[in-house]
Amino acid sequence: MSEFEKLKIVTKYELLKQFRRKRFYGALVLTLLAVILVIALYKGLDIPGKLPISDSPEFFALFVTSAGATIPIFAAVFFAGDSIASEFEHKTGYILFPNPVKRSTLVIGKYIACLTVTALIVILAYVATMIALVGIYQQLPIEVFGSLVLALVYANSVLGIAFLYSSVLKGSMGATIATLLTIMLVFGVIEISLIFANIEPWFMHGYAGDSIASVYGISFAAFGGAMPGGGMERNPNPITSFFVMLGYFIVPFILSIWLVKRREML
Amino acid sequence: MYITKLLTMRESIVIEGLSKYYDGFLALDKLSLKIKKNEDVALLGPNGAGKTTTLKLLCGLLRPSAGTAYINGVNVMEERERAISMVGTILETPEFYPFLTPVETLSYLGRLREMSGRELKSRIEEVIKLVRLEEWAKVKIEKFSRGMKQRLALAQALLHDPPILILDEPALGLDPRGMMEVREILKKARKEKTVFLSSHLITEVVQVCDKVALIDHGHLLVYDSIPRLKRKYRTSLEGVYLKLTEATI
Ligand SMILES: Nc1ncnc2c1ncn2[C@@H]1O[C@H](COP(=O)(O)OP(=O)(O)OP(=O)(O)O)[C@@H](O)[C@H]1O
Ligand SMILES: [Mg+2]
Repeated sequence: MSEFEKLKIVTKYELLKQFRRKRFYGALVLTLLAVILVIALYKGLDIPGKLPISDSPEFFALFVTSAGATIPIFAAVFFAGDSIASEFEHKTGYILFPNPVKRSTLVIGKYIACLTVTALIVILAYVATMIALVGIYQQLPIEVFGSLVLALVYANSVLGIAFLYSSVLKGSMGATIATLLTIMLVFGVIEISLIFANIEPWFMHGYAGDSIASVYGISFAAFGGAMPGGGMERNPNPITSFFVMLGYFIVPFILSIWLVKRREML
Repeated sequence: MYITKLLTMRESIVIEGLSKYYDGFLALDKLSLKIKKNEDVALLGPNGAGKTTTLKLLCGLLRPSAGTAYINGVNVMEERERAISMVGTILETPEFYPFLTPVETLSYLGRLREMSGRELKSRIEEVIKLVRLEEWAKVKIEKFSRGMKQRLALAQALLHDPPILILDEPALGLDPRGMMEVREILKKARKEKTVFLSSHLITEVVQVCDKVALIDHGHLLVYDSIPRLKRKYRTSLEGVYLKLTEATI
């Protein structure tokens, strides 16, 4: 049996595991509630009326999907944080690892399953937004699809980072928290410092992630308010950002495979 | 290279100068041991002697600090997946994915071990019956007691009918009837398989194994057949154990 056949088997059962967990359905419901809440706030508080910008389907989509930009982060961390670590922490590895299957196959299968469920959550958020767009404006700006692709690539990069921590750390909880801290705190601090130093942080994770919003082509200056670093616009190039985010997946993920191959089941 | 391969082929398990340090603590000190095909060997020793460490090294779950091991002539450290395909194993206190049922778990493991279709399905029924989990076959494992998980662990070790069994305290956590049943299963398995098990149950060992390797503080003390040991030390196996091992852990 080829390793590819085994990869299909691993993926199938990892997916079964994901779909059996309440976590997945909880994430679906929370995502839907979050999107509905943001739409309600947008309309209820008349957000565009408070800004020097006119209401448009593009702005609506930008607001809803970027306010929901934390959804990809949480979804990815939620599913991936414990993917590797739990095999060690909860001792299921004693059953799984002594099998004629490469560790790399196990990691990749787990990743595909995590990516699938994460993508389902992100897609749900966008479908809800699209339904709202059609319902309210009878229009579907093409940029929404670009934003969706970028959101998926963004979520994927979070998966890569979560897999790395999950491969190194003892506990699932530690891996989850470390991933969130890295993305929201460490990367954030570096990025802001760069902006203050007047260097465009196009290579930073969060900045690239902002392409989820910048793809709509609405100037962020419209939001008013003081910009740090002498008013540099947060306007990441979507194409560059796409590849930057891919890098944030590939490097940690390869590292993760290498680490799991060597990791001892103590 | 070729010669060593030929020489190791007759042996099911060859352990050569295996050592393991945990952060500077020597848990296993240059262990060497050969187990011939169809031999059934018990690894005995006090708590912390290095039994689990040995079995984990043998299954490729730990990297040795020195030495190596072969399973049916295949180097475990170099070709982990190929070596392990000939082995069924229970290590430490194994856990299962709580959201899956025994049937699903065994299907997954069976597929990974290249079984499929009707053959796999009937074999799953067979092993589930063997460990008496019929009533629980389709219940999520999160509802299982320790002993039930141990039974399932035995079922998965036997699933692919491997020629070699490597078992770390297979009767751990079982009720008296369960212990007896495991003993019966192993007594049957030993006829056609090589069994290498660690145990604290002398009665189990005497009935299931023909040889004993006694280790203490990571050192091999003796490795011999049970009758010979009894003759040499003029006492029961328990007596031999108490005579040779130290009282301090
Ligand atoms: N992960 C670990 N980190 C540090 N030391 C360890 C680790 N695992 C085992 N040890 C040490 O290695 C030694 C051997 O442990 P091992 O688990 O192999 O013993 P054992 O013979 O299986 O004992 P028992 O009968 O209690 O199961 C012990 O002294 C133990 O403290
Ligand atoms: Mg032990």
